[in-house]
Amino acid sequence: MGRTVPTLTRQLNETEAALQGFRRALRRSDQLLLDALLASARPHLAAITASEMLLPFEAALLAMLLEQSRRVMLLEQEVQHLQQEIALLRRNHEG
Amino acid sequence: MKVECLGWLMDVYLRPDGTPMLWLIDQTGKRWLLRMHLPVTFYVTGGRADLRQAWRYLSSRSVSCERQDRKDLFRGQCPVMAVTLPDPASAQAVYHDLRRNFPLLDYYDADLPLGVRLAGHTGVHLLGQCRFTTDGEQILMLSPLDSPWDLDPSAPSLRILEVELPDDPHLSPPAWLDLRFQTFRYRLSLEPLRAFGANLRALLSRFDPDVILTDYGDTWLFPFLQKVFPEFNLNRDPGMAVAVRPARTLFAYGQVLYRGEQAFLFGRWHIDRRNAALFGEIGLEGAMELARVTQLGVQETARKSPGAGITAMQMLTALQEGVLIPAVKQQAESPRTLSDLIRADRGGMIYQPLVGVYRHVAEIDFASMYPSIMVQANISPETLAHPDAPPGLIPRTLTPLLRKRLALKQRLQTLDPRDERIAGLKARQSALKWLLVVCFGYLGYKNARFGKVESHEKVTALSRELLLQAKELAEEQGFTVLHMYVDSLFVHREGGLCREDVAPLLEAIQARTSIGVTLEGIYRWLVFLPSRQDGRTPVPNRYFGVFEDGTLKVRGLALRRHDTCAFAASVQGEILRILAQAEDPRERVADARVLVQRELQRLSRGQIPPAVLKVAVKLSRAPESFRKPGPAAQAARLLAERGVAVRAGMRLHFWFTRQGVSVDMPAPSMVDVDRYARLVQRAAEEILQPLESPPPVPFQPRLLFVPLPVHPLAPIPEGQ
Repeated sequence: MGRTVPTLTRQLNETEAALQGFRRALRRSDQLLLDALLASARPHLAAITASEMLLPFEAALLAMLLEQSRRVMLLEQEVQHLQQEIALLRRNHEG
Repeated sequence: MKVECLGWLMDVYLRPDGTPMLWLIDQTGKRWLLRMHLPVTFYVTGGRADLRQAWRYLSSRSVSCERQDRKDLFRGQCPVMAVTLPDPASAQAVYHDLRRNFPLLDYYDADLPLGVRLAGHTGVHLLGQCRFTTDGEQILMLSPLDSPWDLDPSAPSLRILEVELPDDPHLSPPAWLDLRFQTFRYRLSLEPLRAFGANLRALLSRFDPDVILTDYGDTWLFPFLQKVFPEFNLNRDPGMAVAVRPARTLFAYGQVLYRGEQAFLFGRWHIDRRNAALFGEIGLEGAMELARVTQLGVQETARKSPGAGITAMQMLTALQEGVLIPAVKQQAESPRTLSDLIRADRGGMIYQPLVGVYRHVAEIDFASMYPSIMVQANISPETLAHPDAPPGLIPRTLTPLLRKRLALKQRLQTLDPRDERIAGLKARQSALKWLLVVCFGYLGYKNARFGKVESHEKVTALSRELLLQAKELAEEQGFTVLHMYVDSLFVHREGGLCREDVAPLLEAIQARTSIGVTLEGIYRWLVFLPSRQDGRTPVPNRYFGVFEDGTLKVRGLALRRHDTCAFAASVQGEILRILAQAEDPRERVADARVLVQRELQRLSRGQIPPAVLKVAVKLSRAPESFRKPGPAAQAARLLAERGVAVRAGMRLHFWFTRQGVSVDMPAPSMVDVDRYARLVQRAAEEILQPLESPPPVPFQPRLLFVPLPVHPLAPIPEGQ
């Protein structure tokens, strides 16, 4: 039995290949960020497939946003933690 | 004189004159080859005018026809023309003649395997115990005494002759054959030929084996014997010649496969262990179990993919229930919209695992998930639109199979590990597992008689839903789901877990899904590896871990690949055994590195026997179509120069040497040490490198620190 619909991995690979012109015109540092952004959707392939969208790249963008949100959340936690440590150090210093 | 016996039906075949022959062994050990009268009826439907013409055509050839009402799986009762012939061979001839002259008619029950026909006609199944009456030449009465679904079927004691060759005969012609029969051992020299022939004949007639197990029997020994002793008949039935099926290359399951020439015997079995797809795993016991439940001969089940067996089982169910069996598939895929197609045309749920090293991970498996879904949800092509209908043909075929495998598995769990029955039960259980594995794929197979792709898709859709339900239950109970793969999920909980912690989850999944789940085991630790091409991307099927009892489970590593040389595979195996001793694999990486260095030194000193450096590569295409002369193409060229017919799908064996590639075992000093060292290092790094680096996903901390280029503003010129 042959699949009639291309696999999601293949569709995403094709979309990324289609973005090569965009990537090429970016600065090297931005190219690395773009690569990381695209790669961050890959752990969510099963969820993107389950979205059953005609254009799965939309769901892939959502997966990238999800990973960005996770990173923001982690950084916020870290900032909060560092702020608490600074406050503690300041209190110790002042006291 | 009439004799009544109890015995076992070993095989059934047609003689060239069309006579069905039965090979039986009775309780006293006597071997019988008996003719049997087996009339055959096939059915024809179609347009009235064509049907009337076909009727006239058959009447003019003195073939008897009858109008009957038979049950079609999709249309219910329908009128058909029944054509009855005295034996299967004449039925085949009439069917082919009719089909050639009346191609627009539909034909049913026309091309069934002989074993299926016999089981449908008499109720006696292959390898089954039966009662038979004979006059010494012909079967007068045949009746069954057991069922293929009995858990402990009785079986006659078989005489097995094993024939081994010293090496691959395609590379160098062997000087002798080693024969083994019970406690006897013989070494027959091939020179002088006449003496060899006389000795072989004498041994065959002395032992009169039921089974000849060979190495390279299909592809070398039998063709060789036929060439040098054309009058020598290896069959027990003197009325038959050895049947030879030519070699072929085929494309199946996404791979190019090569099946060598096959040599079939009559009145005894020949199995070439080197040319039998599943034989290495299921052995003779497994092949006999497959024959018992599918009605395909043991020589077939040892060599064929189990798909043919599932088809035969469906045919027998239909035959026993009076359902018409179409000669060609008739149900086409229904038209649908693009969005429906996108929604439906998907496989099982495959997650991307969270890459990293985890301790205390439970693996939970759905037991025979797809066939269980097919039975539970009544998935069969004819019940697709009527889910509340009585069980369909597919569930009816699968239910006893599922039950038998489950019962065998349960029996295995109750036996003492030293029990000698374990190996046989495992082989039979494994043979049945393969039937269950392929039964789902056959729902969507383009040529499956009772297949329909929508039923195939419905199974995968349900499986995805069940796995998501299991995931939700696991998360509700506080587990982290590390990975899901079609019918299994890997869960983890901070602070460790034991069997008792997982039991409530198993119960909850079983209660929600109504499909049996088992705990495959608790891993002491488990490592999910990233892709080799891109360390940021997790891949579903590359992991290794050790269960609490020390058993290793490995997927996707070099040692699982057929093209890895035994030396590199053994180094990987040793590394894993060292890691398996620790509570956390990272604690023993240094020890593993010492081992790798030691093995590399042994390699560079020429202390590794070349036999374990042999590489096996499967040719993906015909040798002449290679554009770049890679190692496999070079090996193919060397073999072709020796007159070996190299074809796509063949597995070629060779060594890397200083001169390039050799198909003969080189001297240790000629081995390409650097190349093997690279292979070993790559195999070692596959395991060790991920253990030494921090988990790369999902956050990509490395990329956060990519320095952004600084473009300082040019100083503003003075005076502006």
